Amino acid sequence: MTGGWRALLRLLAVQGTWNYERMLGVGMGYAAEPLLEDLKTVDPVRHGEAVVRSAEFFNCNPNLAGLALGATARAEYEAVPGAQIARLRTALCSPLGALGDDLFWAGIVPALSGLALAAVVLGAGWWAVAALLAVYNTVRFGTAVWAIRTGFAAGMRVGAAIGASWVPRAVVRIGPVAGACVGLAIPLVAAWYLRGFGSVGGIGALAVAAVGASVSRWFGPALTSVRFALLAMVLLVFFRWVGL
Amino acid sequence: MIELAPHAVLLLLVWGTIVALDLVSVPQAMLSRPLVAGTVAGWLAGDVEAGLRVGVLLELFALDVLPIGAVRYPDYGPATVAGTALAIGAPWELGLGISVGLGLLVAAIGGWSLQVVRRMNAHAIQRRTAALAAGESGAIRWLQYTGLLRDAARGVIVTALGLLGAWGLSRWAALDRQTAVGLTLVAVGAGLSAVAGGAVRSAGRGARLKWLAAGAVAGTVLAVFR
Repeated sequence: MTGGWRALLRLLAVQGTWNYERMLGVGMGYAAEPLLEDLKTVDPVRHGEAVVRSAEFFNCNPNLAGLALGATARAEYEAVPGAQIARLRTALCSPLGALGDDLFWAGIVPALSGLALAAVVLGAGWWAVAALLAVYNTVRFGTAVWAIRTGFAAGMRVGAAIGASWVPRAVVRIGPVAGACVGLAIPLVAAWYLRGFGSVGGIGALAVAAVGASVSRWFGPALTSVRFALLAMVLLVFFRWVGL
Repeated sequence: MIELAPHAVLLLLVWGTIVALDLVSVPQAMLSRPLVAGTVAGWLAGDVEAGLRVGVLLELFALDVLPIGAVRYPDYGPATVAGTALAIGAPWELGLGISVGLGLLVAAIGGWSLQVVRRMNAHAIQRRTAALAAGESGAIRWLQYTGLLRDAARGVIVTALGLLGAWGLSRWAALDRQTAVGLTLVAVGAGLSAVAGGAVRSAGRGARLKWLAAGAVAGTVLAVFR
């Protein structure tokens, strides 16, 4: 596989042209360019077709996009019919999206954020932030290297390779870890902020939290946490202004 | 917000742009998380503690959001930079509420601006459909680089708006002590509500919920006996 490292670096910007039409498509085409370079000399016609396919609609979690990138590049070199490659891309969207979102956005990110929050309020300060960045980026970059290599090695059999890999098992395990880490952080952060305000201040803040939780359930997505917070602040300033 | 030196404002503007780019475009290295964005912004402006206080609280709001697929979400990176700029130099009990309020407003504007950039990207692609259909690598590169530039411009604008808001609030919003403390308590309460709501929603009814509860018990014990 030539151009692998350049493709890997370009994958870091795979969402650079994110849009509602092709989603990650153009970013995937940009990342595929170094991988498809050798095809230009071997089969220029096929190379042109491959470039067109590489930038068509695609969507998945960006951290696992390397699997699709490697697999489709390998398929292009193996002269798999274009329609079959297009079907592979379409078929990979949902599983790579679901696995990647569960693994990273609902798993690793909240787990590390929760741990970092707990460490900060326990006195680790900016060291906790540095550790968060180091651990996350090691995992994320390692996953990207693995993904692109696994995809290129498996080609059209990438689905089986994903199924047999560590990813589905990690998804099952990371959820509870993330729950525990966020759960650990919540009371610690609350105590960190509210300790200096006395019992009245603490009860007041917890009452706001209880009201927020209740009205969010009542109004659903129409009342996001940001809207609730801004509304509560505006109401407070208004009541203070009128002298309440 | 104390009077920041011009070079500190410039550094915050650059940092705000970097974290805005990090959210979606490049490199998605968690720089845009409020905890990171706030700590670095505080360090750049000479008050790490203010950055940590603002960053931790906005991180609670950020944990409520799953940035999945085409979902709309607030942009907390530049928002945290603006909130930190406002919090600098003030006792945190008085400055945190209004700083986080500004941050939440900027986050909402940032989220809206993200939709604008996405629509602009789609228009740019439509204009180059023929080149893409012809397999021109140059067209892909051009679209990619202009997409990144568009997002960087968005980051500059959102951060500049936030810093301008911080400057305006520090100059004209004279809050009495009780209102300032009240805003801080409301912000903390709303942040706790956001993170708890998000955590319960993500947990569903499976093993994750039990682990969430176990973590909360452990955190409570640690907080009480610390």
